[in-house]
Amino acid sequence: MRRIAAAMVLAGAVAVAALLAGAARSSSPTKLTIWVGWSAGNELTSFKALAAEYDRAHPDITVNVVGGITDDKIVAAIRSGNAPDIASSFNSYNVGNYCGSGGWIDLAPLMAKDHISASIFPPAPRYYTQYAGKRCALPLLADDYGLYYNKTMFKAAGITHPPRTLDELTAFAKKLTIRNKDGSLKRVGFDPFIGFYENTPERWIVAFGGKWNDAKGHAILAKNAAWTKWANWQKSLIDWYGYKNLVRFQAGLGDEFSASQAFEAGKLAMNFDGEWRVSFIKHEHPTLSYGTAPMAVDAANTNNYGAGYINGTIIGIPRGGHHLAQSWALVKYLTTNSHFLAQFSNDIRNVPTTTASLKSPEIKPDAHFATFLQIFGDPHSTTSPIMASGAAYTNLVQSFFQKWQAGQVGNLPSGLAKLDSQLDAQVAQAKGGGSVP
Amino acid sequence: MLLLMSPWIIGFSVFFGYPLVMSAYLSLNHYDLLSSPRWVGLANYRYMFHDDPQFWTAVKNTVIWMVGIAVPLQVLFAFGVAVMVARVRSGAGVFRTIFYLPALAPPVAATLGFVYIFNPATGPVNNGLAKLGIQGPLWFNDPSWSKPSLILLSLWGIGNTMVIFLAAVLDVPQHLYESAELDGAGPWQRMRWVTLPTISPVILFAVVLGVIQGLQYFTQAFVAAGVANGQATQAADVSSASLGYPLDSTLFYPVLLYQWGFSNFQMGYASALAMLLLAVSFAVTMVIVLNSRRWVHQTVPR
Amino acid sequence: MTEASLPRRRPPAHVRRKRLINAVANHCVLVAVAIAFLAPFAFIALTSLMTNNQALSSHVWPSPFHLHNYIDVWHRAPLLRWSLNTLMYSGLSTLGMLVSSIPVAYALARLKWRGRNFAFMVVLVALMLPPQVTVVPLYVMWSKLHLVGTLWPVILPNWLGDAFSIFLLRQFFLTIPEEYLDAARVDGCGELRILVTVVTRLAKPAIAAVALFSFLYTFNDFFLPLLYVGTNPNNWVLSIGLAQFRSFHQVQWNLTMAATLLVMAPVIVLFFLAQRAFVEGVTLTGVKG
Repeated sequence: MRRIAAAMVLAGAVAVAALLAGAARSSSPTKLTIWVGWSAGNELTSFKALAAEYDRAHPDITVNVVGGITDDKIVAAIRSGNAPDIASSFNSYNVGNYCGSGGWIDLAPLMAKDHISASIFPPAPRYYTQYAGKRCALPLLADDYGLYYNKTMFKAAGITHPPRTLDELTAFAKKLTIRNKDGSLKRVGFDPFIGFYENTPERWIVAFGGKWNDAKGHAILAKNAAWTKWANWQKSLIDWYGYKNLVRFQAGLGDEFSASQAFEAGKLAMNFDGEWRVSFIKHEHPTLSYGTAPMAVDAANTNNYGAGYINGTIIGIPRGGHHLAQSWALVKYLTTNSHFLAQFSNDIRNVPTTTASLKSPEIKPDAHFATFLQIFGDPHSTTSPIMASGAAYTNLVQSFFQKWQAGQVGNLPSGLAKLDSQLDAQVAQAKGGGSVP
Repeated sequence: MLLLMSPWIIGFSVFFGYPLVMSAYLSLNHYDLLSSPRWVGLANYRYMFHDDPQFWTAVKNTVIWMVGIAVPLQVLFAFGVAVMVARVRSGAGVFRTIFYLPALAPPVAATLGFVYIFNPATGPVNNGLAKLGIQGPLWFNDPSWSKPSLILLSLWGIGNTMVIFLAAVLDVPQHLYESAELDGAGPWQRMRWVTLPTISPVILFAVVLGVIQGLQYFTQAFVAAGVANGQATQAADVSSASLGYPLDSTLFYPVLLYQWGFSNFQMGYASALAMLLLAVSFAVTMVIVLNSRRWVHQTVPR
Repeated sequence: MTEASLPRRRPPAHVRRKRLINAVANHCVLVAVAIAFLAPFAFIALTSLMTNNQALSSHVWPSPFHLHNYIDVWHRAPLLRWSLNTLMYSGLSTLGMLVSSIPVAYALARLKWRGRNFAFMVVLVALMLPPQVTVVPLYVMWSKLHLVGTLWPVILPNWLGDAFSIFLLRQFFLTIPEEYLDAARVDGCGELRILVTVVTRLAKPAIAAVALFSFLYTFNDFFLPLLYVGTNPNNWVLSIGLAQFRSFHQVQWNLTMAATLLVMAPVIVLFFLAQRAFVEGVTLTGVKG
């Protein structure tokens, strides 16, 4: 029996050894694994096809694309030493995390060696791919947000133009809403519910010209009047529908990234959405009669009309990879090659992220999409701050306004003041649990 | 002896002893898994009790709802069903099977099914209520209904406890009932003076197990929040944003720990949260172990 | 059910009538509860046969029956891969648990040694504490071994004894009459021989129950696989795949419910095949006092 026990231990050890050996083995053309967020519609197919183009031109490597990756997965993979050669995320929320912790390597030396200056990227993408001056990511097409409106419904309601101010938006929304006999919602003119589809505080606050932090990086949501103004406007529209009516309505809608998305299915007359919807509608509902416009703005902020929130896909090299040179070559191609950026932009209708590719003759014109190119170029367009606590920062803000819209925040000014101190404490905790400033 | 025990001794030290000590150490450090741990003293505990806006929510959700309300309901319900099944003269086996079946359903699958069935807009439950002219609640989408919905889900899966109770009730010697009946005891009195005292150790066991499970309640809350939130909202690109949906109402203590440890990767703070959970569950465990003689079978003479 | 062995007196008529009414009422309530318990299964099954749009409508009965969902679902998600991973996790864990836990349970139940009671207490404590208490350092440990992303962090611990199985087996081993063991000892068997030849044979039902529970537990497990293979879709098990099914594949309720039913099916089939072992096992955990 003792021998049996010894054999068992041995067998276990052999299994583990085999496993480790298997993990370390590599074959002759270098296999580069790249993680991307795309999974829906034609997005992943398109990226794979374009990556295959690169693959064919470079016999020394094979590119292995893995789609449907979320930030959670990237963060976890880096911490556990399982990161791919190249990782990309749909948004910049965690850049503070990736750059600050050293989870994604600093790209500045590689860029300097190849004489690439960060100034080839427009200001917003240039900002949201670094943290505290450390550039650990580059932009790979951007997203910006605007208003989609259903032209058939507008015509039926006698509305002739997209709303330019929030007062107009509110009036149109009410006019376009249809209720059932029992008071529940059949069609919603415009749904400003935080957490619904693309509605988040950071995308909305642009319409009010809001600010996040003071010069020292402390949160100023209580002091900056824009937040209070936005919160009151948003809540009054929610209350007009009835909070519970909206929740019930939303629970019956189709998935945002499927063909039964509510705007595409005709259950929303207007919707706040990203530029990619142009491509989704083209593939899923080519006959839909709709228009795109910049999001309406606060009446006191009308010179900002035309601006919007910008964020986008970022790409970088997690630390601990074995094929740095090849990985960097691919990242460089994906972020700076005008041909690639223009082709991919045509396919998935995201905004190209170099000044050169924005003007590329390869970009196919599209009236719906042109709106988003203009928003992208608007000098007042902004993005959200890059903070040390990563996505947890905007999550905390979002969770506050979700409580607010549900009527669970009694007093807005004191609630916002408390939120500010929670945000500051969170950042301090993320930086090392030191003293709260 | 040592040979027989050795797998467990190794397993216990590696997977239990070591992590407990390490957890205590990490809870006094800032550690993000990328750079080495940095000593911060009690800062994590200070953040936990003073600054973390979600900590007390998670504690209340867990202690009041998953322990204080869910456990008594589960025990009462399982006991009630067991007593009724015990009374049936024919077909008891069929009933037992039916009531046990949901306990087998994998928690992820059961939760998905429930979130669909209780969908406020299209689910069969609210459709049925609407036919009766009642506007059903928002269930998993409403912060004041999400926990009752989860408790309903837990009552559906009560089969294990029910089977244990049933066996215990059937084990009560028949002559005790008969002598009580001779003394003129009605059904309630027989229940009160014969059944309950005889099976009390089993009830204690069920309560204790319920408390332990309540403290580690995770899967159903995690899945229900993600699925109910994902029904119409995909605004949050970061999937951990759905934890606790709606409005942190399903943010239980283990969910909070998961969020800090494995979404934010603040291993030091997560360890501090784990130490508190250790202290509480250890206290509960001690109560059980010290009373174990009452429910653990001891036949071998020493 | 336990039959009374004493001769019963025939109760008077009004008592009998009252008993009958009670029994009928009892039955009605039970049937109602039973229907409520079965309804979720029915709704899941019905929805799994609907079209996409029908699942979002207020109809309960599928028309037409959309059996094709059960073919689609295999194309939309790598269900086969998830199933094989699950089988590997459950199979290897159960095997390891048996090999390591039976000897420990025997030592705790039938061997006399100093510290035995203390060791048993420690097993109980280990059984009771939530896995979240130790999970952070263990995650750090596995990530340093570069095994996060594989199923080994969830499989290997089972090869070093599982507290619940040890507890359950010990309870059963205590009921084996000492004479059998003494007889073997007289024949000159060592404790290991006794364990292998006598005890395991006598304890077959308990071992079957423990194996079943271990299989079920690992089949259903979500928390630990989420931590360790959540980042690696190649190694997803069914529970992880199913939980992410909707968001990952942008599919609608009909297919999700089809997948849900497919995940429930093996467990329920297993139950009907081994119903006795199940019920005996569950009873063993509670009623031995």
